[in-house]
Amino acid sequence: MTILRIAFLCLLSQWCMAQDDLSKMFDKDTPKEHTPVIATYKSTRIIQGHSTEMLKKRELDFRVAHRFGDLGGEFGGSKTFFGMDNSTDIRIAFEYGITDNLMIGVSRAKGSGDLSQLYEGMAKFRLLQQTTDDHVPVSLVVFGNAVVSGMTSSKTVSDPSHFEQFTDRMSYTGQVVVSRKFGERLSLSLLPTYVHRNRVGYMDQNSILAIGGGGRFKFSKRMGLLVEYFYPFRNQESKDYYKTLGKQFYNPLAVGLEIETGGHVFHINFTNSTAILENQFIPETTSSWLQGQFRWGFNISRRFSL
Amino acid sequence: MKKLLALLAASMLTAPLFAQDIYSCRNVSLSFFSEAPMENIDAKTDKGVSAINLKTGNVYFKVPVNTFQFKKKLMQEHFNENYLETDKFPSAEFKGKLLNAPDFSKPGTYEVNVEGTLSLHGVDKTYREKGTLTVGDKQITLHSGFNVKLADHQIKIPTLVIKNIAEIVAVKIQAAYEPK
Repeated sequence: MTILRIAFLCLLSQWCMAQDDLSKMFDKDTPKEHTPVIATYKSTRIIQGHSTEMLKKRELDFRVAHRFGDLGGEFGGSKTFFGMDNSTDIRIAFEYGITDNLMIGVSRAKGSGDLSQLYEGMAKFRLLQQTTDDHVPVSLVVFGNAVVSGMTSSKTVSDPSHFEQFTDRMSYTGQVVVSRKFGERLSLSLLPTYVHRNRVGYMDQNSILAIGGGGRFKFSKRMGLLVEYFYPFRNQESKDYYKTLGKQFYNPLAVGLEIETGGHVFHINFTNSTAILENQFIPETTSSWLQGQFRWGFNISRRFSL
Repeated sequence: MKKLLALLAASMLTAPLFAQDIYSCRNVSLSFFSEAPMENIDAKTDKGVSAINLKTGNVYFKVPVNTFQFKKKLMQEHFNENYLETDKFPSAEFKGKLLNAPDFSKPGTYEVNVEGTLSLHGVDKTYREKGTLTVGDKQITLHSGFNVKLADHQIKIPTLVIKNIAEIVAVKIQAAYEPK
């Protein structure tokens, strides 16, 4: 009887095969690959801070970032055409993908804050990339830069821009960016950041830790809304001291629109920070949204495959 | 009872023959090409699977769309993210039938016509295309090429980049089948 049963099963299996649903025969060998999640953001930046996106191998990204003057407040309004007549910072950069997981870049930024005429060298490395099956739940990159100011040393010894030696011109940023794409529309990031400036003003902090948060909500295939916020952990004495000088520190908050047009990515954004580089906008933002001291700006990224 | 057993035994013997009816290929190579004023686009994959039932003339293809490799990786990202939406529609599938099945027992090269449904980007469309089948010893190879009109599958190209992407894409298929 067992034989019969086996025979019957054999027969049945043949019959199934002859049934001709050829699609079934590949069902079992669909590869269980950990497919990487792509396009968490459309660009290597969220707004000011880095995203977990990388340039691909042998890709060159030409970037221009621009921040105008205050839209409102004392220096804004119609007399400067809402800040358009001024520029608080401009950065021009060439960034390059050495591998899919390592990119480097050089840039020049005008600078806004204590130091100006900035030259930046940077590197970014991806350690983890989120996968669709959650085998890796997040993407993680580390970013670091070194910035040197080319400005003439101030004659006033107490100025942060008085340089006794070359290293006084230097500042550094180290950052970890963790992102997760939740479905098609929403991406969120966390950006623990460390900024070190070799020379700062009296009672200012050489080293400052900050935590950043950012995200994107995509409302169409090519457009998304961006938000980014940094909270620098500046000590109270420093804050109090600067308050007595009439200078108050604010946390940089930026909102933006991400628009992709093929090889270009445009960002139009509004932010209270004046500077573009992490080394400045995290520890040196002294303008406030609430006083109309925010500006519009843009980031343009054009990628070339070399 | 004995008769039944004998019958079963006989049908079991025919089993290998039965199986020979189905030929399959697990590394179908597919490529597509589009010529556009700004830049040509071409991409390749060899991750397709396919099977032919020689007896019924049924043909089946399946391709994981995100396995297409582009020279420009940014293009590849846009292809997956914006155009083919591979998150939502991971694979393209074709189910069809040979309209003029050749005599597979005789080696040779045959022109065949196939008709069936291509499901791409979540949209089904009936295609009737030509191909060349070469029947060899224990192997059957297939070459075919056809055009896909992006609009037919609701693959939308924004006007801003219309110059970069052709509206019709030429697809080429190559497969070497062996008995299952």
